[in-house]
Amino acid sequence: MNNIWTIAVNELRMLFRSRTVILNTFLLPLVLIFLLGTALSGVVGVKSDESIDPVRVAMVYEGGQAGNAAMVADFVQSPELTDYIIPSEASSREEAENGLRSGKYGYAVIVPQDFDKNVQSGQDAQLEYILGKKRMDNTVAGTVFDNFLGSINYRQSAVQVLGPQAAAAALAEPARQETAVKLGDLNNGGRNYTASQYYAASMLLMFLLYSGLDVSGSLFGEKDRHTLYRISSMPVTGRELFTGKMLGVGIVTALQCATIIILSNLLFGVYWGNRPWLLALFCLLMILISMTFSVIVSMFCKTHTTANTVVNFVTVGMTFLSGGMTPLPDAWINSVGSFTFNHWALDSMIRMMLHSGLSQLLPNLWVLSLIALGLLGAAILSYRKVGYHA
Amino acid sequence: MAIAELSNVVKRYDQKLTVDHLNVTIEEGEIFGLLGPNGAGKSTTINMICGLLAPDGGEIRIDGLSVKSNPLDVKKRIGLVPQELALYETMSTAENVAFFGKLYGLRGKLLKERVEEALVFTGLSDKAKDKPSTFSGGMKRRLNIACAIMHRPKLIIMDEPTVGIDPQSRNHILESVKTLNQMGSTIIYTSHYMEEVEAICDRVAIMDKGHIIACGTEKELRERVAHEEKIVIKSGAGPLAPELIDELGLHPRINRVKTLEDTVELYLPSSQSELQDILFIFAKHGGVIASLQIEEPDLETLFLSLTGRTLRD
Repeated sequence: MNNIWTIAVNELRMLFRSRTVILNTFLLPLVLIFLLGTALSGVVGVKSDESIDPVRVAMVYEGGQAGNAAMVADFVQSPELTDYIIPSEASSREEAENGLRSGKYGYAVIVPQDFDKNVQSGQDAQLEYILGKKRMDNTVAGTVFDNFLGSINYRQSAVQVLGPQAAAAALAEPARQETAVKLGDLNNGGRNYTASQYYAASMLLMFLLYSGLDVSGSLFGEKDRHTLYRISSMPVTGRELFTGKMLGVGIVTALQCATIIILSNLLFGVYWGNRPWLLALFCLLMILISMTFSVIVSMFCKTHTTANTVVNFVTVGMTFLSGGMTPLPDAWINSVGSFTFNHWALDSMIRMMLHSGLSQLLPNLWVLSLIALGLLGAAILSYRKVGYHA
Repeated sequence: MAIAELSNVVKRYDQKLTVDHLNVTIEEGEIFGLLGPNGAGKSTTINMICGLLAPDGGEIRIDGLSVKSNPLDVKKRIGLVPQELALYETMSTAENVAFFGKLYGLRGKLLKERVEEALVFTGLSDKAKDKPSTFSGGMKRRLNIACAIMHRPKLIIMDEPTVGIDPQSRNHILESVKTLNQMGSTIIYTSHYMEEVEAICDRVAIMDKGHIIACGTEKELRERVAHEEKIVIKSGAGPLAPELIDELGLHPRINRVKTLEDTVELYLPSSQSELQDILFIFAKHGGVIASLQIEEPDLETLFLSLTGRTLRD
């Protein structure tokens, strides 16, 4: 144990005497968190609620007779829709198109001449839409008329499959007072995260992965200085030497982690969530993952430069794919991103910042623990196979 | 009493025998020189003695302990001065020595005393706080030694400790080796500088191709080649004529002829009886003699007579 501690202290001494290490380990992460958090504050986080203005919809009844499409005419006049659409009859398609161009209308619907007749004869209910200039108007009006058509076609299907009696029975049921959809403000009472929080977490994880460079530097440095040869001739076992070196690098990385968390909180107000011990556990797992991964790389690389290149490539690649450099689409992050170490830790840290329940954090914890365990096993195997020799 | 016993030691690299059934015993208190050209197997032998390499066969015992069975106990008794400088450039001289001292189990006051002792011994006590990056090659070599002796090992192994340094530092190191020996340590000293080995070693083993081809005191080894003398003749008129060299080679009493630019070395049983013939051959071919020297046989001569090659070939 004495030898392990002696080697670890020596490792700490050498790391702390290097200005480059001090700058890269402690200063650079904070600078990056500040710059990215400030510059990209508009990209990250939950935007404020927007109110929806009613859309003026041009209704064009082909054949000029709204009476031939009483279903549609009744629907657009229903009081529930007044918050969403303002129907206005247009005499022709051209008038509707001109109105859309001039901004008089936000949306237009062409109703076929025999709409009611077609529906009553069992055919699909169909309307023609002409989109306006505003995306939001198109979404609102489109949703209204899609729901209308969907409802009619659903009943048509029910009648065809179950028979007219079932449909009549269904219609005879009193209307339900409760709706399956509950409207509300999803953000009400919840928490948001800021760009600083997002980048503080992603930069912390990136720099924890970068600590792998210290591992390869430490392992190859001893060889390059020939001190490994001297130490190997001393009463020190290979296990003591290796453990001591990993302990030294591990302590520096843990200090780096604590510094980033504490100083980002004090300097930039980054809130790291309500579970400090779980946060520490996630950080420790990432440190373990980073170090064991770097050990494996160092065991199979012949030179320090090659090992550094591999660690650098993997660190930057995983940080990017996990959305650590810029928020990526959810589909991307949840597919490709899930193959990165960062993904599971970043997701957990963001969830902790949002005060998510433990049940939402534990799956990530298990995945990260499994990754750490797997890499630790692989590192031990590669150490036994390749060894650490002068 | 033997401090190191190597019995039938074998080491192979890719089926090539690097150390070939080596048998040697090193007595406590002696300075034992291990001499041989590059690739002779000296470093491999040292690595096996220090427990850095496992032999493929045979046994090595240090101070009565088997290296294989008690590697850590053996390592406590050994101080290795590597051929390459093995130092931390970002740490001070004293920190370097103290770090390695701690790995030998030294702590507290004893560690402090031993660090000071090692630095005084190597003449670096006034440089204790300086970093090796500011040192000359010779000072770095001395620090390299200090790091290996602070635990007062019974056996000090020095692997070519004077490579690439100035004569002053070289003499300092050679004197240090003698002093360490007088203080009770047994020394194994490897070199391909024959003069160093001749100057400080009590016994010398000459290695070649994994074998010890000769072993004994300097006197014993010289006696093995006492039947042969060396005459070195330097030409006063550039390179010697090939006909002259050929005729010298054909002389029945001259064993070997070696030419080095404008110098010729002749190995023969007795210089006195053949000197007249040699001068006659020179005169016959118009050779001009700038200098003529009759040399006593040395270890280089012995190595040459045993292998047909020089130590630095």
